[in-house]
Amino acid sequence: MSTIEHNPSQPSPLAGEAGAWLRAQQRAGGAWLRIAIAVPLVAGAFTVAQAYVLSLLIDRALAAHMPRAGQAGLAALLVAIIAARALLAYVGERAGARASEDAKQAIRGALQASLVRRSPEWFRDKSSGVIAAQLVDSVEALDGYFARFMPAMIAAAILPLAFAIGLMPIDLVVGTLFFVTAPLIPAFMALVGWGAEAASRRHLTAFTRLSGLFADRLRGIVVLKLFGRAEDEVARVRAASDDVAARTLGVLRIAFLSSAVLEFFAAIGVAGVALYVGLSYLGYIDLRGAPLTLQAGLFCLLMAPDVYMPLRTLAAHYHDRAAAKAAAADIASVIGLPAAEAEDTNATPSRALPAGPLAVTLSGVGVDAPGRGVVLRDVALDIPPGTSVALLGPSGIGKSTLVEAIARLRVAEGAIAIGGVPLSEIGESDLRKDVVLIPQRPRLFHGSIADNIRLARPEADDAAVKAAARAALVMDFADRGEGLATPVGERGRGISGGEAHRVALARLFLTDPGLVLLDEPTAHLDAATEERIVEAILAFAEGRTLIVATHSQAVARRMDRIYRIAGGRLLPVPHRPSAAREKLREQGEPT
Amino acid sequence: MRLLFSLVRKRLGAFALALLLSILTLAAGTGLLGVSGWFLTGAALAGAAGATFELFAPSALVRGFSFLRIGARYGERMTGHAATLSLLSDLRAAVFGRLIPLVPLKGVSSRTGDFVARLTSDIEQLDLVLLQALLPLMTALAGAGGLALLLALTLPEALPVGLAGFAITALAVPLVLVATGRAVGTASVRASADLRIAALDGMDGYLDLAALGALESGERRFAETAAELRRARLAEARRVALGPALAQLGAGLTMAGTLWLGLAAVEEGRLAGPVLAGVLLAILALFEVTGPILRGAARLGSALAAGRRIEALVSAEPSVRDPLAPARLPGLGTLEIAAAGYAYDSGRPVLADISLTAKPGERIALIGASGSGKSTLLSLIMRLDDVTSGAIRYGGIDIRDATLADLRAHIALLTQDAPVFIGTVRDNLRIGSPFADDATLHAALGNARLDGFVRSLPNGLDTWLGESGATLSAGQARRLCLARTLLSPARVILLDEPTAGLDGETEAEFLGDLLVAVEGRTLILATHAAVDHAAVDRVLRLEGGRLVSA
Repeated sequence: MSTIEHNPSQPSPLAGEAGAWLRAQQRAGGAWLRIAIAVPLVAGAFTVAQAYVLSLLIDRALAAHMPRAGQAGLAALLVAIIAARALLAYVGERAGARASEDAKQAIRGALQASLVRRSPEWFRDKSSGVIAAQLVDSVEALDGYFARFMPAMIAAAILPLAFAIGLMPIDLVVGTLFFVTAPLIPAFMALVGWGAEAASRRHLTAFTRLSGLFADRLRGIVVLKLFGRAEDEVARVRAASDDVAARTLGVLRIAFLSSAVLEFFAAIGVAGVALYVGLSYLGYIDLRGAPLTLQAGLFCLLMAPDVYMPLRTLAAHYHDRAAAKAAAADIASVIGLPAAEAEDTNATPSRALPAGPLAVTLSGVGVDAPGRGVVLRDVALDIPPGTSVALLGPSGIGKSTLVEAIARLRVAEGAIAIGGVPLSEIGESDLRKDVVLIPQRPRLFHGSIADNIRLARPEADDAAVKAAARAALVMDFADRGEGLATPVGERGRGISGGEAHRVALARLFLTDPGLVLLDEPTAHLDAATEERIVEAILAFAEGRTLIVATHSQAVARRMDRIYRIAGGRLLPVPHRPSAAREKLREQGEPT
Repeated sequence: MRLLFSLVRKRLGAFALALLLSILTLAAGTGLLGVSGWFLTGAALAGAAGATFELFAPSALVRGFSFLRIGARYGERMTGHAATLSLLSDLRAAVFGRLIPLVPLKGVSSRTGDFVARLTSDIEQLDLVLLQALLPLMTALAGAGGLALLLALTLPEALPVGLAGFAITALAVPLVLVATGRAVGTASVRASADLRIAALDGMDGYLDLAALGALESGERRFAETAAELRRARLAEARRVALGPALAQLGAGLTMAGTLWLGLAAVEEGRLAGPVLAGVLLAILALFEVTGPILRGAARLGSALAAGRRIEALVSAEPSVRDPLAPARLPGLGTLEIAAAGYAYDSGRPVLADISLTAKPGERIALIGASGSGKSTLLSLIMRLDDVTSGAIRYGGIDIRDATLADLRAHIALLTQDAPVFIGTVRDNLRIGSPFADDATLHAALGNARLDGFVRSLPNGLDTWLGESGATLSAGQARRLCLARTLLSPARVILLDEPTAGLDGETEAEFLGDLLVAVEGRTLILATHAAVDHAAVDRVLRLEGGRLVSA
């Protein structure tokens, strides 16, 4: 929904928590935030000085008839003060921006770190676009809170009262007038704000129903077009928009009263000072013992707008706070607000795996997936080291689930052991070094093909990357582009699913694991390419344990053993391994 | 911006009123402070000299300007927002209307919602530009006129100083900031896009990174991109921070310059002292208008960019058009795909030489790995784009010779990402058939095996769905979309992955119901799920851009 359409859905139940969290994030702003807050206060002193010098100048010229030449020094001082105020304004803005950028970067880092610690399960039913939007857009929406709202709030709390107290020795009546009205403004504004909130709550359901309609119809525009209904929906989009506009205006009618309150006091302040001081000069009012000088009167008048200025600035930045709170509530509901210090109470597993091919044993393994019910139940499997195994079955049957469970990327019941070590006791880095999984839908990251392959072993040299790429038949299509420097990923379009899979497979060839887990390595491939890929995989898997989830009979036939998954169970399939591989095994290593 | 200005022209009256009230607000504020300064100084001088001072006019003016300012300000905000909100409606309707012939946009995935989010935010930026940048700018122009008049009447020698100071601060500085900000702004937009990609890489590639033990390198990359964005934003802030500083400097120096010239005039007796005080205070008040302009200037740059993006989007040429002399498609016909090929603009072929004939009532399952081109083939039958070679015919007539409306009355497609729209169950269903009565709707729901559920809802067909409404399970949502498709009069039904996102049990049940529901119509069912060969007449596999029988 638009920023000017009134959103009454705030405050949400999370708003309180979000507010507290926001306040806690100020620490990340550090010294720059303190500077940004201090600058308006210092600038306040210069405001007073400017009004003082200006009124003195006028007083000397008009009341004391001092010639212009004699005022050059004072005029130079005035210009210096003006320049200093401008400089302070610049410093304040820069410090605010710096504080805000530092805070946002710290928050992004904390959010990202907290995401990395999540279990793989957490990501399954989440939309990555929504999460990315939190990291990018919602955090960006916090900007004004640190850069502008915080300094404005402190300035609004201190400056008007400080000005008022400072004016009391000059004229008690004027000082008191400011002292009383300045705090009244926020009070009245809050009262009006409550009225606006109540008014918007009355429209709550209608608002939320209508305000998202444009985005909703835009999302489904192709479907509407297919049914020939899109043209009619234009009228509906307009009607909903107009309805929200009418309701928004109804709420704004009350909400704008709060700015009218501010305007009222500012105008009354100026007019009141002018009339009071003028009438004092003329002797119509006499509330003070000593007569008032022209300078004192002008000074009071010049200060009148400045007394209310911090409140105006705060009002102008008040929506920054609302936006930040809404963004924080958004982050809280999607990702959860990261705590200040993440403590790892669980002892981290640290057992290493034996060298060489790894045995895999499963007993009583079961997996429940949210929304899918029981995917696997009571699966038992015993794979000797160096064996190759195919898991066969149509897609969606649970092959990926099982492979991911073995790689500790999915929570499973029952006992899984790799190389004789229970899965839960293996150290994370040992597990990742010795067990490599290439998932079914590999992600190509933004960068070159070489960058993507090197992900598996960052220190690998160009020759190694090239060899891995050649083994995975990546060169077949890479040479159509710029070789291994061809950009891929989010922006590098023009690479097909099968090609992406081969790049991911090249990652495998850079590693040296004892257990290889492949999920549909030959999906999207024609029969001839599939054959060549399987050769490459089998050559690599020599001296390692290999588990391949596949729906391809041709791939499965090349493995030592085949299991079929059906009804959540694992059933062995009678199968005579191909002679060639059997022979290799007999020559190769003792099993 | 062309689109925006064509829409603004329709709302010219409302914006003119807002502008008038905005000028009135500025004038009242300037008048209030100016008269106050004049009155106060005059009273002080008169009081000191023991002279009389006419009190009625200035005190009336002070009070009058106060209340005028309060009222005008309120009116300006109301009219300005009313005009902007109606402009928002106009913009939405115009963009939506212009997009219809252009969708689906190539290279844009509607499923991610990213495109929708970007477009809606672009529209909002564009619509706020009037209220936050153009209105204050025009008010400042009027302010410059007022200042010229004031100085001409009182202190003509200060005209150059006053006008130059005001023009530089209120007009030149913001425009220079906008112009120089383009490169920096672009860098920060790019850094922001890179960060989104890094975040998406981290989420969508989580399994890859975790499986390779490379989570840390992903985290490092995200941190580097975030630091890059921070640098870009700080470079932007260096420039934006100049705005408020220059506004203060401009106001102060203009006032000081006028003061210096005015002091000489007072000394020479050409100018009354109180008038000088009034003029100085009026100038200070007048510069108030520069604040919103300089704040809005930062927005103006991004709004211009948003305007260019929208303009580029909606001014594209539709790739599919109705023929000038359309042929009528027969009521019942054979769907024939003859040697059809399709390639993306990049030249990468997706489909090569596809031939398929579906006789009336025939049921064909189309299988193949995801990305093999099943969805593309179905969208070509619907003419969401045209084949690059070969032809698609219905009842012997090339579909390019018929109108789109005619084609869509004969062939209906249930897309993979068909949404449940915000609205009632009835609204959702009537998209398939706008005038269907409740009995027809219930019958379609019955065929999709959702009628029992809808009848069990307290509000039945009037139940509100979508945001803040009842939520449907994934299976129920698919059934609702199926019922919508079944309501179409089309004799050929195309279903694209109708069971995507459903669990195994629901999938089997849904497929079974679906085959019953489309009884009597021609069916092409694209799926990557296992298909019961007995339930359909033929199963074809799409592989390497070609059809093979499976």
